[in-house]
Amino acid sequence: MSRNVLAVIVIVAALILQVTVANRLLLPGSVIPDLVLLAVVALALVNGSLLGLVTGFFAGLATDIVPPSDHTIGRYALVYCLIGYVCGLAAPEMDRSPVLPFVAVAAGALAGSVLYALVGSMLGDPRARWPVVSHVVPLQAFYDVVASPFVVWAVLRLTTRAERQRNPAGLDPVPGFYRAR
Amino acid sequence: MNDTRRTRAVLGVLLLASLAMITVDYRGGDHSPLRGLRGFGEVIFGPIEHAATAVVRPVVGAFDTVTGSPGARRRINRLEKENQRLRQQLRTGQIDKRRADELDRLLGTAGLGGYRIVPAQVISAGEGLEDTVSIDVGSGNGIKPDMTVLTGDGLVGRVTRVGPSTSTVLLATDAASSVGGRLESSNEIGIVQGAGRRSGKALKFQLLDSTAPVRPGQRIVSFGSQGDRPYVPGVPIGTVATIERTPGSLTRTAVVRPFVHFTGLDVVGVVVTAPKRNPRDAVLPPAPSTPPPSVPPTPPPSPPPSAPASPKSTPAPRTTPRG
Repeated sequence: MSRNVLAVIVIVAALILQVTVANRLLLPGSVIPDLVLLAVVALALVNGSLLGLVTGFFAGLATDIVPPSDHTIGRYALVYCLIGYVCGLAAPEMDRSPVLPFVAVAAGALAGSVLYALVGSMLGDPRARWPVVSHVVPLQAFYDVVASPFVVWAVLRLTTRAERQRNPAGLDPVPGFYRAR
Repeated sequence: MNDTRRTRAVLGVLLLASLAMITVDYRGGDHSPLRGLRGFGEVIFGPIEHAATAVVRPVVGAFDTVTGSPGARRRINRLEKENQRLRQQLRTGQIDKRRADELDRLLGTAGLGGYRIVPAQVISAGEGLEDTVSIDVGSGNGIKPDMTVLTGDGLVGRVTRVGPSTSTVLLATDAASSVGGRLESSNEIGIVQGAGRRSGKALKFQLLDSTAPVRPGQRIVSFGSQGDRPYVPGVPIGTVATIERTPGSLTRTAVVRPFVHFTGLDVVGVVVTAPKRNPRDAVLPPAPSTPPPSVPPTPPPSPPPSAPASPKSTPAPRTTPRG
C-alpha cells in the first residue's frame, strides 16, 4: 500500500468517525476533539511537508463539503493545508525525543483551532464571535491533546505495517517514533 | 530534503486555491457556483454516513446514557446493576423501545398541531463551531429546503440543503439561525436567536417591544413565517429562564431554556405540510402542576392594544383556514 492510499484511508476514516460519532457525543463543555485535524498533523509528521500540505488541503476540502457542513467552502482547506505544511517542516526533528511528537500534535491542534476561528471572524461569521471562541478554543485544544495519542498511535501503526509489507525481510525499518523523508 | 522549492510551489498553489474558493463561495452566498461541490459531497458521503451510523449507533446511545445525566454517579451504579441482569440483546431492545416512544410522541405532536411530518433519524452532526445535523431523508422522501424540523418536545430547526438521501438541518441554537417567536397566551412577539450550544446560553429571545411584560417561566412558541416556510406556526420553542436588562437598549433580551435536548437528538420529524389553521398554544405541553412561585397560574393580562412591527420574515399569525 502506498503512502498516498494510506493517507486517503486515514482521512476518510477520521472524517466519517468525526461526523457520525464524535460530533454526537455529549462531552463536558460540549466541545469535541477535531479528529481530522489530528490525523492531518500525524500524517504530516510521518510523511513530511509536501505530502502533509496536500493531505491537509484535500482533508479540509472534504470537511468543507461533508453533509452537515454549513460554512464557506475552503475554510478548512486553507487551515489544514497550512497546518499540514508547518507540521511537516518539523518532521525531521521527531526522532530526537519520544515526547516531541505529542508536543507537536498539541501545538498543531491549537494552531488549527485558532486559525479556523480567525478566518471565521475575518469573514464575519456570527458563529465565530469572541464569547464563543474564547470558550471553545482552549477546551478544544485540551480535548485534542487528550485524543491525540490514540490518533497518532493508529496512524503510526498503519504506517509501520505498510512499511513492513513493503520490505518483509528486515525488521521494522522505522527507527524512532516517526520516520521522516 | 524536506522543504524544497517544489513543496513551496505546491503550498502556494493550494493556498491560493483555498483562498479563491473562500472568495467565490462567500461572494456567491446561496447561489455560489460551489454549491455543486456540496451536492457532490452529499452524494459521496451521504450513503457512507448512513452505513456508518447503523454500525456505531449503539456506541453513541450507550455514551449518551452515561454522560447525559446530571446525577451520573447514581445512575452509573444503577446501570451497572442493570447491566449485570440484562443481556446484550435485551439492551438493544430497550434502545429500540426508546426510539419507538420518541416516534410515538412525535406523531402525537404532529396530530395535535395538524402538521404532516416525515419522520427521520439524525445520522451525523456538524464540525467545529456550527450547530448542524444531517438526517436520513432527502428529496426522494419529499423533503425540500426551508422546511421546519421538530421533535415531540418542540422546535429543532430548518432544512437548509437537500441531497438525494440525506438533508442538512440548521439547528435553532446555531448562531446563524433566528426564528420568529411569540410568548404563550399573549401576543408579544420577538426573535429567538441562537447563541451556539457551546456558549452555555443556547437560545436568546429578543422582545421587539421593550416595555412588554415578560417573566421567567413563560413559554414561547414559533410565530410562523410567510407561506409557512421555513417555520410553521405553533411549534413550542422553550421557556424563559432569565431576563437580561441592558440599559438604553431598544429591545429586551431573555435567555430561553429550549424544550428540545439539542445535544441528544435522535428521532426528528420534518413538516412537509403546514397546519390549515394556526394551532396557537395547543401544542405546548400541559402546564407544570406546581408553577414556580414567581409565575401566577392565571394567564397574563391582555396584551397591549398595538402589536409592534413584526420582523420581515414573520408576518401576523394566520387564524383563518387557508384555501
